[in-house]
Amino acid sequence: MSASSTRAATPHAAHHGSGPVVWAAIIATTCLLLLVFQKVLWLVVPVLLALILYYFLYPAVRALIYRGMSRDAAASLVTLAFLLLVGLVGVALMPRLTSQLTQWQETVDRYVQGGTQLLDASLRALERHSPPLARARLADTVAARLAQSTGNVADHLEPVALGIMAWTPSLLLAPFLAFFFLRDGRRFKRFLGAAVPNAFFEKTLFLLHEIDRTARAYFQGLINLTILDTLTLAAGLWLLGIPGPLALGLICAVLAWVPYVGSILGGLLVVLVAATDFPSDPSMAYWAIGLFGLVRLLDDFLYMPMTIGKSLELHPLITVLMIFAGGAVAGVAGLMLVLPVLGVVMVIGETIGLIVTDPRLMARHRHAKALRRIQASADL
Amino acid sequence: MVKLFRVRKTTPRLERLHELSLFVNLTQAELQIVDGLLHERHYLEGEVIFDAGEEGQAIYIIASGEVLISLPEAANGRRATQAAVIDPATSHPLRRQGDTGLVAQLGPGTFFGELALLDNSPRSAQARAASPCELIIFFRDDFVSLLDTHARISSKISRQLACHLGTRMRSMALSMSAHQHLL
Repeated sequence: MSASSTRAATPHAAHHGSGPVVWAAIIATTCLLLLVFQKVLWLVVPVLLALILYYFLYPAVRALIYRGMSRDAAASLVTLAFLLLVGLVGVALMPRLTSQLTQWQETVDRYVQGGTQLLDASLRALERHSPPLARARLADTVAARLAQSTGNVADHLEPVALGIMAWTPSLLLAPFLAFFFLRDGRRFKRFLGAAVPNAFFEKTLFLLHEIDRTARAYFQGLINLTILDTLTLAAGLWLLGIPGPLALGLICAVLAWVPYVGSILGGLLVVLVAATDFPSDPSMAYWAIGLFGLVRLLDDFLYMPMTIGKSLELHPLITVLMIFAGGAVAGVAGLMLVLPVLGVVMVIGETIGLIVTDPRLMARHRHAKALRRIQASADL
Repeated sequence: MVKLFRVRKTTPRLERLHELSLFVNLTQAELQIVDGLLHERHYLEGEVIFDAGEEGQAIYIIASGEVLISLPEAANGRRATQAAVIDPATSHPLRRQGDTGLVAQLGPGTFFGELALLDNSPRSAQARAASPCELIIFFRDDFVSLLDTHARISSKISRQLACHLGTRMRSMALSMSAHQHLL
């Protein structure tokens, strides 16, 4: 029998992508999961970091396994080496960090001051061109409110320090979880596979593989997106003449891991730098805002669909819409988590849809169940 | 460090794997690596392992029991109902799909579904357990990953696969020439 005729003859081969019901279920499940994840962020964030760490360390573990080392030993060795490296870097940087802490406080104060001055200058320029605004004394009102709300940098240190202390135990979970992912990931896959009926076994194996591939592709996409954002921003900032374009671009690109909110923070940072380093030239800050707007558009409508969206094989429209939906459902956490969660739910949903709508697979499962029932009651 | 890379003692499971034709050339250390990639399934007599036309994702190695490989009947539309019919008296299916087109009956140590390891083509025949059997399953993507990262193991397995395919082609050619001779 030829391949084409066999393919045409089977219900499985007749399947052409998931239907609207499956997609509605995928989107609803994603939103529901985001709502749940928002409530257990203390666990979700370390798991997410552990996954990034897992995909970062996995090649080293695999290399050791393929050189004859047991999985347990390879996972332990690589995790220990990573922790040792982080510890050494921490110890090496600690004296420099502590010595610069007071200087950082002054620097932050200087940049906040620069930003406030830019805002004040902009509002006064507006007042000059708009008599109603001048009569409302907008610049004075905003300046007074900013002075009340911002205060001194030292005032904000306490909540930041408390936040770091509260999150530290949770974040310390990440390497611990990554170690177990590295050591027992395959066992978990086998454990899950063993629980699946024979009729669906191959499909389940494929599903687990696809989930792994999707997660890997997502995190690789994230790295690609960071590189693209860094390069675009650095090029723009360099053209504007703002100092340290590459470092600023990298910080903003990492902040952009949180869609929208991260970008706004990054934009604010660049504007503050531009306003402080060029106090006599406010147009530089406006140019920086323009550049950021352009990069934001590029990021949302070109880079993200090209990298993360493409890695998840999502339609760009769905990527953009789901980012909005994630933000609406679960805020900042939703923005961060929506794409990886959607990617995994999509793979699971499509595979379950494929199995449930395949009459042949379902018939085989019923047949196997009947055989087991008969075997169990054979001598009764 | 040297101790970590030392070849560990063999286990009954590894010895059993070593007896399978696909892994006969692998060393203990290599078997341990492959063992981490394998899955085990148990099938009852009459249970379908895979159907013709299905997308193949894995190769199956028979650890115990027997498996029937058969070409499907022309009328695939009736298959689902036929396959579910079971004789309550004997506990055996009354009529099995593919009984009319039996290609081979395979025993312990042999393997089938190997084309799935090489390409994405659909299964060319149906596999069904002829007796209660235990199968070892090697997923295609694990094999591809092994090809990318461990050339020695994959070359040994590939050589066994090539030998198996060569034997099968020779027997097919022989049977075709015998058939022509009879005509």
